[in-house]
Amino acid sequence: MNTIAEHIADFLKEYPPFNHLTFQELSEIATSIRVVNLEKHKILFQINDVLHDSFYVVASGVINLSVIADAEETLLNKCNAGDIFGLRPFFAKNNYMMTAKAREESIVYAIPIATFRPFVANNSEVLNFLLESFAVNTRNPKDKENLIGKLISDNVFYSDQQSEMQYFQSLSYNNSPLKTTITAIVKDVAQLMTETLKNNVVVCENNIPLGIITDTDMRSKIATGRYPVTVSVDKIMSSPVITVVENISLAEAQLLMLKYNVTHLCVTQDGTDKSDVKGIISEHDLIVAQANNPGVLIKEIKRSQIPKELKQIRERLTDLIQTSISKNIPLSHVFNIASEINLAIIKRSVELSILDLGSPPARFAWLSIGSQGRKEQLLLTDQDSILIFEDVTPDKYRDVKDYFLKLGKRTTATLEKIGYELCPNGHMGSNMLWCKSLTDWTKQYDSWMNTPGENSNDLSSIFFDYEITFGEQRIEDAIGNVVFKNAKNNTLFFDFLGNDALRKNSPLTFFKNFNVEEEGSNKDKFDIKTRALMPLIDGARLFTMSHGIRGINNTLQRFKQLAISDPKYAEIYLNCAEAFLTLSKFRTLEGLKNDNSGQFINLNELSKIDKEKLKNALAPMKELEELIKSKFQLTQFS
Amino acid sequence: MLDWLKNINKEYPEFWKTYLSKFDKKSKRFVILSTETSGLNPVKDVILSIGSFAVNDNSIVIGDSFEAVLLQYKFLHDNGLSNEFIVESKMKKLAEPEAIQSLINFIGNAVLVGHHIDFDVEMINAALERLDCGRLKNEALDVDVMYRKLQDINDRQFSLDELCDIYKIPKRDRNSSSEDAYKIALLFLKLKSRLGIK
Repeated sequence: MNTIAEHIADFLKEYPPFNHLTFQELSEIATSIRVVNLEKHKILFQINDVLHDSFYVVASGVINLSVIADAEETLLNKCNAGDIFGLRPFFAKNNYMMTAKAREESIVYAIPIATFRPFVANNSEVLNFLLESFAVNTRNPKDKENLIGKLISDNVFYSDQQSEMQYFQSLSYNNSPLKTTITAIVKDVAQLMTETLKNNVVVCENNIPLGIITDTDMRSKIATGRYPVTVSVDKIMSSPVITVVENISLAEAQLLMLKYNVTHLCVTQDGTDKSDVKGIISEHDLIVAQANNPGVLIKEIKRSQIPKELKQIRERLTDLIQTSISKNIPLSHVFNIASEINLAIIKRSVELSILDLGSPPARFAWLSIGSQGRKEQLLLTDQDSILIFEDVTPDKYRDVKDYFLKLGKRTTATLEKIGYELCPNGHMGSNMLWCKSLTDWTKQYDSWMNTPGENSNDLSSIFFDYEITFGEQRIEDAIGNVVFKNAKNNTLFFDFLGNDALRKNSPLTFFKNFNVEEEGSNKDKFDIKTRALMPLIDGARLFTMSHGIRGINNTLQRFKQLAISDPKYAEIYLNCAEAFLTLSKFRTLEGLKNDNSGQFINLNELSKIDKEKLKNALAPMKELEELIKSKFQLTQFS
Repeated sequence: MLDWLKNINKEYPEFWKTYLSKFDKKSKRFVILSTETSGLNPVKDVILSIGSFAVNDNSIVIGDSFEAVLLQYKFLHDNGLSNEFIVESKMKKLAEPEAIQSLINFIGNAVLVGHHIDFDVEMINAALERLDCGRLKNEALDVDVMYRKLQDINDRQFSLDELCDIYKIPKRDRNSSSEDAYKIALLFLKLKSRLGIK
């Protein structure tokens, strides 16, 4: 027992399963620990490595666990301080089925299995924790919730819920298929299939697949009387079998089944029919895998009863976004899916509040504004919303407003629990100022747009990106009418927006270097949100409003629509659309990497190519700026 | 200068002979060593505590460690120093001869690693001399030197705290030779992989 062992024991006792052990026991374990330092990107173990004699606890840093499917690496989990991983040697004898790689310089404790095993045997809580960790699939946050602390499964080759992007996820399938020999009698085989409740059996010779017999073969060749039940299986088997490699993706499996018009694929060691059988993929496996897609998430949202469930779904959305991006699925598509899911979550939050408070005394509309209004919210950013209720008689006004304020507070609180931070500027339906009757809102927009300079403190351009989340469509339409009626030939207002758009500092310095933050906690990082994305967003809004284009709130679609409505400058608009996508991707990647909003890009972590890409994406901004300057004679405010 | 002559026919204690015999083979084991001393003079000052860990295969083996507080009652008394920390310490307490003997048994033929290790080695040599033994024969590596070699810096030295800051190794409020040894061990692992030492 030494001082450092004591420190390690102190560290361990904070985390499951070690919190079930006494300090004495922990000290004993700590004494046998090895401390390993992993440099950034160092691989601790990888797929098919022989099992180590220890499992691991992250002491500091981050370890990424990943699997490989379709020759591409898929992140399964990030392990932070206190997370355990590499449990495979506890329960299985075959080699590692995932790769553990240091995402940053990390220190891990290696705990010898031999030392730890007695504690597992003597302590059912520890055993359960390990078993569950091993068996469950942690990418499903539901389990995470149920089991305190993060569990890292390395049991299944890939967990079918790791990614929600169905077509790119790996499959889990039956890896102990029924096998029979070529000389077996059909009747016996049928009996075997019935007993084991399988609909297929592989005919093998020395574990090499020769053919397959499925229920279909039994039906078409035996039940029709073409062959008696006493023939050997080679008469009725389908041969050759379609063989595939081990880590095939859902998409590929589906394609192969369609191509060869079969219902089963045989997994072999090297993917040919000359190597050992590893398993069978049936159509059913595909159906099971498909149960994880955005549609299902939305269905689950609709059924959720408490914020916690919604939070889990939101976490799965983050996974979905992460996988989608790493699979190079077009960002515009990801935007669509993410915003639909976000929308459903907010909608359900409002519904839950209504269920609590009783039905509303008047019709109303809950509008999302800002990024969610533009359907561009990928990462968890703050919530912006307004609430508009229909006009009521003056004597009722007080009660009605009271109700909607309560509704707003409850909903924003729910959303906060889910993980959307409250808006620091108070742009939310729970704010007295932004929870008003339709008449008041009409007045508000009138005053903003006709005298924009006077009350500019509370005028934020995000109020012009709105999207109905819940309630009466007609209320949104009414506001839309007000906005566009006022926008017509309103030079003053466009001046104001134009100046607002141009006020942001330029992203590059005179010498074409990035304009990085000069002080604060984000020193030397590039503020991609205010310096690069906001000008594009502002510009898109300004032009769509001045062209009187309604109903398109998304920056990308705005630019595309502008290219059609204003063909003279189509090239600039399309460049901006492209740049917007690139920049959004940078921001999203940064955000996923650091689990934050991705506003600040750490340039030091970018490769040289990425830096150039980022710089190129900043170029169209300049053109857009010039266009704004020439189109709106910005005089009134400048 | 003729010191070695004096020792030529001297009979060493048994543990020292065992120690010397271990050097027939080359070791792959590293021992991280940190001592706490009463001052900087190898002749007048004494070791107050020792902390050390073994590093094997790029990992710190927590169990393969040695730590002790040395009971230097006489020294402390002579210099009018308090012995409170010795009384309070939970670490194993040994008199200097036993401590040094255990340490020698522990390090064997391993490569020693420390921060400004020369001084630690000097202090141990002084203690060994009091036990009628020779000088340490182990190879020694200094994390400060390793760092300077890595960065190609020649004009300054780095304190342990500075190095820990550079490699973001968390510091604790309490310092002891074991804590230091652990920090040096982490530093060593990081520097070792960067320098590509096998």
